[in-house]
Amino acid sequence: MKLIYTPVEFQSRNYYLVLAILALLSVVGFICFVISYTQGHGGFGISNRIPWGMAIIITIYLIGLSAGSLILSSLTYVFGREEYRLISRIAVFLAIILIFGAMVGISLDLGRPEKMWRLFMFFVLNNMRSMFALNGILYGGYFIISFFYLGSIFANHPKWTKKIGILAMIWASLVHMGTGAIFGFIEARSIFYSPIKPFEFVVAAMVSGLALLIIVVIAAFHFANRRYWKAPFFSLGKLLLGLTITLVVLVGIDKLTHLYSPHRGPTLWLLSGPFAWLFWGFQVGCGYFLPILLLSQPRIRKNIRGLMIASSLILIGIFFERFNLVIPGTAYPMPFYPGKIEGIWGREGTFPITAIELLMGLGIFSMMGMFFILGLKYLELLPLLEGGKENTAQASGAR
Amino acid sequence: MVRWAMVIDLDKCTGCQACTIACKVENNVPHGSLEEQQKQREIYWNKVIAVTHGKYPHIQTLLIPMPCMHCDQPPCVTVCPVKATYRREDGIVMQDFRKCIGCKYCMVACPYEARSFNNKEQETKPYHRQDLPPDREVRGKWPFPRRTHGVVEKCTFCFHRIDQGLKEGKKIGTEVVPACVEHCPSHARSFGDLDDPKSEVRHLLSSRIWFRLREELNTQSKVYYLGK
Repeated sequence: MKLIYTPVEFQSRNYYLVLAILALLSVVGFICFVISYTQGHGGFGISNRIPWGMAIIITIYLIGLSAGSLILSSLTYVFGREEYRLISRIAVFLAIILIFGAMVGISLDLGRPEKMWRLFMFFVLNNMRSMFALNGILYGGYFIISFFYLGSIFANHPKWTKKIGILAMIWASLVHMGTGAIFGFIEARSIFYSPIKPFEFVVAAMVSGLALLIIVVIAAFHFANRRYWKAPFFSLGKLLLGLTITLVVLVGIDKLTHLYSPHRGPTLWLLSGPFAWLFWGFQVGCGYFLPILLLSQPRIRKNIRGLMIASSLILIGIFFERFNLVIPGTAYPMPFYPGKIEGIWGREGTFPITAIELLMGLGIFSMMGMFFILGLKYLELLPLLEGGKENTAQASGAR
Repeated sequence: MVRWAMVIDLDKCTGCQACTIACKVENNVPHGSLEEQQKQREIYWNKVIAVTHGKYPHIQTLLIPMPCMHCDQPPCVTVCPVKATYRREDGIVMQDFRKCIGCKYCMVACPYEARSFNNKEQETKPYHRQDLPPDREVRGKWPFPRRTHGVVEKCTFCFHRIDQGLKEGKKIGTEVVPACVEHCPSHARSFGDLDDPKSEVRHLLSSRIWFRLREELNTQSKVYYLGK
């Protein structure tokens, strides 16, 4: 039952090909960022009605994935569930990469990214009543804590790992609750304004983080040609089902309470307006309904392929949950005065998807993918089952 | 203590947009192209909205000019992480372009859409250099050396006029007023000190029925409207 962690010996040409493609896409993303900066965000789909675009959607999505996977690593390191040790080390490493991607995402959204240091002048130059400034503390601390966490795991120091693990788990929850509060405390925007937002965000983080972990770990084992136990993944599938149902309950409460005045107009518009197909089709259908349907069938849940499909659907669905918060949340015209507001001030905002924004987003994901596969090759992340050595030897020999 | 406020008489407003143009000229706010306007990307420090009730032929239209409301409880100041937007002691809510990092959180939080994001590159053409501050010898200079892209902008109640007027010992509200007040052809707007019992704004507020926009959010805005 003992696990030995070894770097994966990727030697095939395909590995370097993938690495080169990811590096190229990251460079393309960076070039798009430079273009967008010189154009003053001219190439983005944002407007004065919809100030936040793709960069913020990707950022909160990544923060969620990061916080979720760090929380789930505590299953082993804090709660001592040995059967999940398979995923825990990768979970912590993934969390660091994802939060780094999220920080890059935030800086891409800033009109003046060179002044980002101002966000981290806590209590000196910062307005500590702002949720954004408070989140700066949370993100900064998160980065440091997760580095120490990974360090103590690599150093094989279970006592320290447990202590830092407890802190990391709490801090990760706070990080994503803080992100939810950025939106939930904005009274001017009906779709944002909700006390339940921070909790919705934490659960969404755990759902998406778990789905990503399942996909990434299974894929890593697969591409590294290593054996793994399937049973832990099947029980994680059950956990995924439970978390998804919790998320549905929270989102349901949020939307149902918002169907009452004064938030009725914007919420009805979200549920039946031009963004309704994204809400019902992607968020509810792809993110909640289909995965719950798939995972509630033991036959599919206890099948690696079924689990992978359900997890992928959840990942797409949670992305659109973020999209449906940020874009329609600001697109609905403000009720300055009762009555119908004519002209552009009463028109709903539109959000064209532009090539620059998409390539920038793709660049962030490619950069993280590059770091991840480099990590697999050079760090001791993926476990080798005892007795599985011959297996890998055979596999590498075959290669 | 002074608290600058604006009173707008909706009965007198004809919707001529002279205030919008006067503001653009005074503060050197760039004009947008038709495309930018369609995409809601043009910068407006002052806008005029038209609100209709009913259906033709039984229709009523209300024209509401909307500068920044300069709230006493400004949501934008609460959310700004870097203190780039702040409330001066005289109640004017300011935006410091040098501190602003362009996170746009204030635009999301403002319930009046008073804020615009400046995404314009600096131009070299002599016509409409939006990077230049409204450097007027008569009115006094801006405290910011130059305007810049990538930051959020908004109405300042023409604070440069007020500051210069106070320095010269002029009466604010009669001799010195913001550009939109000065250029309103129907004298729908008046400007003055809310804490001065003899000011024109106090006189108007005590003699007419007034309202403020989105009172339910308790922003304590300092732009008052007199009803039709």
